[in-house]
Amino acid sequence: MRDLEKIEVDTLVVGSGIAGLQSALDLADQGFSVAIVEKAPSIGGKMISLSKVFPTLDCASCITTPRMASVSHHPRITTLTYSTVDAIRRDGKTFTASVTRKPRYIDEGECISCKRCEEVCPVFVPDEYEQGLGAKKTISIPFTNAIPQYPVMHPEHCIRCGACARACPKDCIEFLQEPAPVEIKAKAVILATGYETTPMTAKKQYGLGKLPNVISPMAAERLLAPHGPYGRVLRPSDGMTPGSIAYVQCAGSRDKSIGIPYCSRVCCMYAIKQAILLSGSLPIADITIYYMDIRAFGKGYEQFYNNARAMGINFVKAKVARITEDEGHNPILRIERQEGTSGPEEVKHELVVLSQGLIPGHDASAFGLGTENNDFGFLKLSDEMVSSAVTAGAGVFAAGVVKGPRDIPDSVVDAGSAPWKPPAI
Amino acid sequence: MDEKTRDEASKDNFRQEPKVGVYVCHCGGNISDIIDVKAVAAALAKYPGVAVAREYAFMCSSNGQDLIAEDIKNLGVNRTVVAACSPSLHELTFRGVLQRAGVNPYLHEHINIREQASWVHKFDKAGATAKAIKLAQAGVEKVLRKDALNAIRVAAEQRVAVIGGGVAGMRAALSAAGKGLEAVIIEKAPRLGGKLLDLGRMYPSGEEGPAVAKKLEDLVLAEKKITVHTGADIDFVSGFVGNFKVNFKKPDGSSVQVKAGAIVMATGYEHYKPAQGEFGYGEDVNVVTLPEFRALMKNSPAGRLELAGKEIKSLALIHCVGSRQVEGVHKPQADGKINDYCSRVCCSAALYAANELKEKYPGVRVYDVYRDIRTYGMQHEDYYDKASRDGVLFFRHNDTDQPEITSDRTGHTVKVKDVLTWGEELEVKADLIVLVTGMMPADISLIKSQLKLPSSADRFLQEVHLKLRPVELANSGIFVAGTAQYPMDVTEAMASAGTAAAKAAILLAEPDIPLEPFVAVVDEAKCTGCGLCPAECSYDGALMMGEHNGKKVAIVNPALCKGCGACVAVCPTRAINVAGWTLDQFDAMVEAIAKE
Repeated sequence: MRDLEKIEVDTLVVGSGIAGLQSALDLADQGFSVAIVEKAPSIGGKMISLSKVFPTLDCASCITTPRMASVSHHPRITTLTYSTVDAIRRDGKTFTASVTRKPRYIDEGECISCKRCEEVCPVFVPDEYEQGLGAKKTISIPFTNAIPQYPVMHPEHCIRCGACARACPKDCIEFLQEPAPVEIKAKAVILATGYETTPMTAKKQYGLGKLPNVISPMAAERLLAPHGPYGRVLRPSDGMTPGSIAYVQCAGSRDKSIGIPYCSRVCCMYAIKQAILLSGSLPIADITIYYMDIRAFGKGYEQFYNNARAMGINFVKAKVARITEDEGHNPILRIERQEGTSGPEEVKHELVVLSQGLIPGHDASAFGLGTENNDFGFLKLSDEMVSSAVTAGAGVFAAGVVKGPRDIPDSVVDAGSAPWKPPAI
Repeated sequence: MDEKTRDEASKDNFRQEPKVGVYVCHCGGNISDIIDVKAVAAALAKYPGVAVAREYAFMCSSNGQDLIAEDIKNLGVNRTVVAACSPSLHELTFRGVLQRAGVNPYLHEHINIREQASWVHKFDKAGATAKAIKLAQAGVEKVLRKDALNAIRVAAEQRVAVIGGGVAGMRAALSAAGKGLEAVIIEKAPRLGGKLLDLGRMYPSGEEGPAVAKKLEDLVLAEKKITVHTGADIDFVSGFVGNFKVNFKKPDGSSVQVKAGAIVMATGYEHYKPAQGEFGYGEDVNVVTLPEFRALMKNSPAGRLELAGKEIKSLALIHCVGSRQVEGVHKPQADGKINDYCSRVCCSAALYAANELKEKYPGVRVYDVYRDIRTYGMQHEDYYDKASRDGVLFFRHNDTDQPEITSDRTGHTVKVKDVLTWGEELEVKADLIVLVTGMMPADISLIKSQLKLPSSADRFLQEVHLKLRPVELANSGIFVAGTAQYPMDVTEAMASAGTAAAKAAILLAEPDIPLEPFVAVVDEAKCTGCGLCPAECSYDGALMMGEHNGKKVAIVNPALCKGCGACVAVCPTRAINVAGWTLDQFDAMVEAIAKE
């Protein structure tokens, strides 16, 4: 272990997705000092990897990168990436967080982000930022607009050839780097630990993630992103341009059989958005959305839904019972239409997106701060009729999806209300 | 660098010969898939006055910003042109880069080659590239003629005026007070609480509306930094960021003026009122709205749901009345528009009320006629689930097949083309018809017209950007909280109001507020004192005729001028210009674009 680094701030923000970034900025702009701890190598959370965002269809990068840059340039914000919060201790009215900086295996003080190490590294690994649809080097900067621009080495894939160390002009590759402990003292804590999507294996009737052309919505986001893995929409099994694409709604929400009875709030809208983007990039493709109820409840959402219908996207009210595939890896959906009189039928598509729901990204109660979770693991507020941010733990506030699924506009609004007056010392 | 050294540095910078840096953004493919960004950078590198021209994947990212900062440091670049997205998105981002690097932030020109070139000329790559080059060259010509400007600073009242004393208004005032600001709530009704005072049991907590209002009211009354005016009749609102004045009459007829640095619009909603005869409303006493039904449920004796002494044994809920309206199917409202938006809260509210009904009067048959059930909140799906289990029968229709209601002596018949039974035309009998009405914004036309506030197509107040600036209005210093912006429930109104207060606190964090320096500037040597310009000015007090150095000239009040340029257009001697947007700059831009 390296020497203990100590940081003292007004507020600690855990998580740097859009809610964490916005909370930190709003608080710092009010004059408070903030430390952000993020487990991933870059700040930006899920939003930075999205293509465009509903209902305005702004490109997600265009909205996220400047916020990321504002955070990294803010004189009152300290950012720790690739770091985990191991424990938070309450001492009277202050908090002490034990944080570990995970080793990137480079000297961050010396690195000039020249990418030479990445260029010479001979080992390719699947790129998780591209949802496994592309490859990256085993030492590489996580993605183009990542902040900070430090490469991360994955020792489990490294063959110790030493090419990176020889190429580095600053001699900053450290094969034997160890984790570094950090202690952060703060007067308030904001939990913005966000979400994960329900796993591809959540519903056994949907292929358990083994059907190559049944993909996750995050993978579809990357396929649709202008700077995505292929620069166009191709299906994974054979690289063919799909002519018929289907969305399976509520594949991971409103489903008691998988323990997720709640509505995830965002899936209708992201499916409609992706369908609109798909009809832009594949003008002759047939796009069908199989749904239970279309929940376009936010400002401008109903109009967005109506636009999608006018563009010729098919909305079919039907719950998909099962997904299988034919010998050409074309997914086959077993459905029963609620309109029309036919019985159950099987429909073939060339690419299927499972509209997965949202589940908690982290168990916030594990920090031991006196906060409580609801039945589904999301953070409970002490009185949501009176405040949108105050939890049962004194001095502990919550922002964004940690409290339950919500979309980007709702998270941004929500995050602004999280910064509170830290308790006086 | 502290502010003083930075100012000195930027002055020095300005005295040096202009060196323009041009930066062409790929926008991650949004631009570079259509426009040959390398060709644009190469063409600009050769343009007179340009010291360096580069292209990069995301100029707005930290790396992109660092490229500019490095060029300022190493190459002495002292003016910049960024050819990228719309300036509304990122002009401020790049001004910030110049500022941090010690160059006056207004020596920057943001050229839009995305919305204005790559997106609109998708099928003409060569044409889009040529256009991008021309636009960037015009940008260079403009930035070469720019002057270093400084923000105008105005003193700000350290006080927030909150218009509306419902839940959003009370939360906004509480949050503002929590941040050390004085807050003044101005409410037209005789007491605080707004719509909550009339609501019964509310989701998700199950508390009665007045009880929730009381909790917030107690907090408000205990807070010394909050002043409350109820029964206030606003007659005049004026001013600008930092210096607003809200004038109103108290119930005793006296007049009060509140001065405030910021305003929070927490003016709320009205229930949609069905048109005369809409599903029989107004013609038949047994057709009521959801709020009326809740009052009826509250006033009925135990064990017997009744209306005007008559027992109700069955009822039908009709969803989306006044919401999700369809052109050609629904009659327009008084202003000629249909309500094509979803009112967000009515599905959950209706099913929550249905559950309450089933609890109190389990024998009443309930039919629910809907298009989509939108119980999106964390616990809301339970309401739907519980209603189904308790025997509420659901009928689903398409948007163009509206249900029909007919009445005779035996009661009402609801006829619906039900999608759930494969489009069968079904008829059910019901004693009572409950119209699940949506929300419309409260009538705030007076304040809207006096402050020139923007509304969106749905008539609610319009935020600057749903994701970037969701609680700010285009009018600097005015914020929106709660249902004045869009239908939302109490928990959502809490978030929106807390954020509105946070933004007001950020604005008022310093005693004076910086304003953009893009205001009219008069060249007194050229001004003939003809008096044409004040007649064109739409902002009271911004431009007036006066005397200076013994000469009659036009005089601008920079704190009031919005930089609209109406005065520039009528000046016969080119004596007025808007700083940062001068006629000479435009002439040079046009020439650069028109040049062969």
